[in-house]
Amino acid sequence: MIVAVARRIALSLLTLVLLAIFVFVATEIMPGDALDVTLSADELAMIPPERLAQMKRELGLDRPAAERLVAFLAGTVQLDFGLTIISRTPAADIIAYPLRNSVLLAGAVLAAAIPLALALGVAAAYRYRRALDNAVSAGAIIGYSVPEFVIATVLVILFAVLWPLFPATITAATRDPAHVLLAAAPLPVATVLIGSIAYLARILRVGMIEALASDFVERLRLTGVPEWRVLLLHALPAGVIPSLTAMALYAASLVSGIVVVELVFAYPGLGQELVRAVTRREVHVIQAIALSSAVVVVGLNLVADLAILLLDPRTRR
Amino acid sequence: MADLRRRDLLAYGVAAPAALVALDRALTAPAAAQAPKRGGTLVYAQCSGNRRGGDASNTKHPYFMVDLITRCAYSTLTWVDEGLNVVNELATKVAPADDKLNAWDVEVREGVLFHDGKEATAKDWAASFELHRRRNFASQQIQRIEVTGKHALRFHLDAGNAEFPYVLAEYDNVVMPADEWEKIGLTGIGTGPFKIASADPQRRMVLERNESYWRKGQPFLDRLEIVNREGQMESAINGFRARQFDAVLNIDPRLVRQLQSEPETDVVPATSGDQAVILLPKHAGSPFLDRRIRLALAHAIDRDAIVRIVYGGQRWGWVGNDSHLAGTDPMSRPRPTGRDVAKAKQLLAEAGFPNGITLPTLYYAPQWPEMGRYFQVIQETVKEAGITLPIEERPNDGYLKFRTGDADVGKGNFHKFAYTAVGPRNPGISLFRMRGANNESGYWSGPEHDRYMDLYRKAMVTADAGQRKSIYAEMQQICFEEAPALLPAGRNNVLIKRPNVHGLKNHPQHWSITWDSVWKA
Repeated sequence: MIVAVARRIALSLLTLVLLAIFVFVATEIMPGDALDVTLSADELAMIPPERLAQMKRELGLDRPAAERLVAFLAGTVQLDFGLTIISRTPAADIIAYPLRNSVLLAGAVLAAAIPLALALGVAAAYRYRRALDNAVSAGAIIGYSVPEFVIATVLVILFAVLWPLFPATITAATRDPAHVLLAAAPLPVATVLIGSIAYLARILRVGMIEALASDFVERLRLTGVPEWRVLLLHALPAGVIPSLTAMALYAASLVSGIVVVELVFAYPGLGQELVRAVTRREVHVIQAIALSSAVVVVGLNLVADLAILLLDPRTRR
Repeated sequence: MADLRRRDLLAYGVAAPAALVALDRALTAPAAAQAPKRGGTLVYAQCSGNRRGGDASNTKHPYFMVDLITRCAYSTLTWVDEGLNVVNELATKVAPADDKLNAWDVEVREGVLFHDGKEATAKDWAASFELHRRRNFASQQIQRIEVTGKHALRFHLDAGNAEFPYVLAEYDNVVMPADEWEKIGLTGIGTGPFKIASADPQRRMVLERNESYWRKGQPFLDRLEIVNREGQMESAINGFRARQFDAVLNIDPRLVRQLQSEPETDVVPATSGDQAVILLPKHAGSPFLDRRIRLALAHAIDRDAIVRIVYGGQRWGWVGNDSHLAGTDPMSRPRPTGRDVAKAKQLLAEAGFPNGITLPTLYYAPQWPEMGRYFQVIQETVKEAGITLPIEERPNDGYLKFRTGDADVGKGNFHKFAYTAVGPRNPGISLFRMRGANNESGYWSGPEHDRYMDLYRKAMVTADAGQRKSIYAEMQQICFEEAPALLPAGRNNVLIKRPNVHGLKNHPQHWSITWDSVWKA
């Protein structure tokens, strides 16, 4: 068990190092360095070579790539992602609160989505190929297919304009306490929640169908174990295990992936910051966001792996 | 005339007092309904935030607030009213010291308190202008500020300026508690109607009523909240529809028709507003060093199409004349000729581009909601003259630093072929913006520039407004013939508000809106 846990932690750390190298290579070496990416085409065409060389020196871009990579990795370990090109602000300072806000939004979505999806997935699997299953499956396909900006707009019209229950746009400050942000965010949460429930219910349903059709469930039923015990205490853990990794990755994707929802509702999260950084061509902020997203993905994946290790003895070998 | 019968007399006798009572009620009832009510919070969304906000380290500083309406927290010596007339604000007297017009005596109001309770005196004004004369574009003519009394100052200018009182009204030129110019203003303490309670850079600011405001009895509101929705007008309008916002400032004029039909929505237009300046850089290697190419572009742009397509007609937009003067200014002179594609082609051919030209990328930021449409119209209309004009939108955040820079390419961050917005001001300030030393002229130089500046200096020491007008006309003619920058068309500012918001007037200078007498029913 300890060896298996240690192996997974080591693998996660290795993955993070490789990802950091990839982010560095993608943004600083190919196809141009950070300055080339930041400057407009006109600037690159017009600035004399000696001035460009001087600017590169000022940003440390004249050093060998390997040396810069080591400095980048060392900085990353200390959460030092460098300064922004325009305002010379630490990139870590720029993303800290937006990252917290995105984690909050994703957390709120998952807190509601996981129990609801579990209930729907289990119910649909238990009523496999009956009306309830058909309704859940059809609803899940629709919920997963409708784009989030459409859901967001419909929710705004219904619950902010026609029936003004919730804010249509979020005016809370970036550094407001968590409860202030969450109180202002029912519509963004609901927007993401619909797609999340749809996605999670589908994968849970599949896992549960397999579990309920397995030999051990049949044996339990034949031995007279009550149906609710079969369903909740035996089939559910077995049905959830295959979905854990997918659920963890989905949760991680929420943190950095709900850009559209953040833009529609002006939610002060990582998505808005990423869009701003890309349009401003702030390479260090993009690196910081990419790496923090990678940490969330790898971290949640590790949590899922450890949970599987705990729940499924076969994986400990 | 028929004789009055007794019945008629009786009828009139009853009817007349009744009519008088009804008339009295009709006249007095609105007055009673309009009596300002104290208290409440007003939340407004701003669609045109402060472009310096992205560079802010302290967003309470008047230069880096969430929007340009610094008068919510600060005060200036003078104010330009909705009719663009300059009036005193914290000054009680502004007068030239002599007929050279290069020294101005100002007396400041006594008993004005800062938000921390200290009295604002001439020393605070002098210290504040030590920053303004270094950083505010219109105040750099101030050479020295002399404190001549506890509440009296003398401004010494580098040259005469007949319109100096307008400079004192600039939104940057506020009074702050005296400090070294590098540090002044960082506390966020002013003398304005509201005190800054909290501020989130580029996003939001909350202000609370200043109980010791110098305009006694004002402001009426207890709290003012500003939400920046620059580049996110749809979000702002959704918030207005959802009753989160009491007003939305600086909306796209094309939305007016739609919003007029919506319930509980008052559309409040201003008589004028900002216009777009297209900066034509004249650094080494730029095609705009060639006057013929500048003029070809000026002739090729269909300005009427901008007004029609971007603004929805002349009620909401106006044609510019390639000077910084607004088309609605009485001193403005219309362009002598309209669009001339043949002339544009001829100029290009003379410049060595008989088959057309591809210009560098024109950058713009969505400082106004309609700017994307604005530059698409320009891009399309200049094609007819053989001009290919790539355009690229940049974010508002950091745009100021991106587009400005040095005249010298060798210094790196050189100034761009780019857009900026300019609001309507008096000619003295507006026409000064085309000086060669300013980024907005693309660092224009040459004999015509020198003649332009000679005329400017002459106008500034001409006390008579009529004589100044003819000098200004000559300067605008130079702009037309030289096209140092292009100012094709402008907008009329539009805000929307709830009907229960009273006293909120729109302003051609969107930064000069005041909240002192605004109240909510």
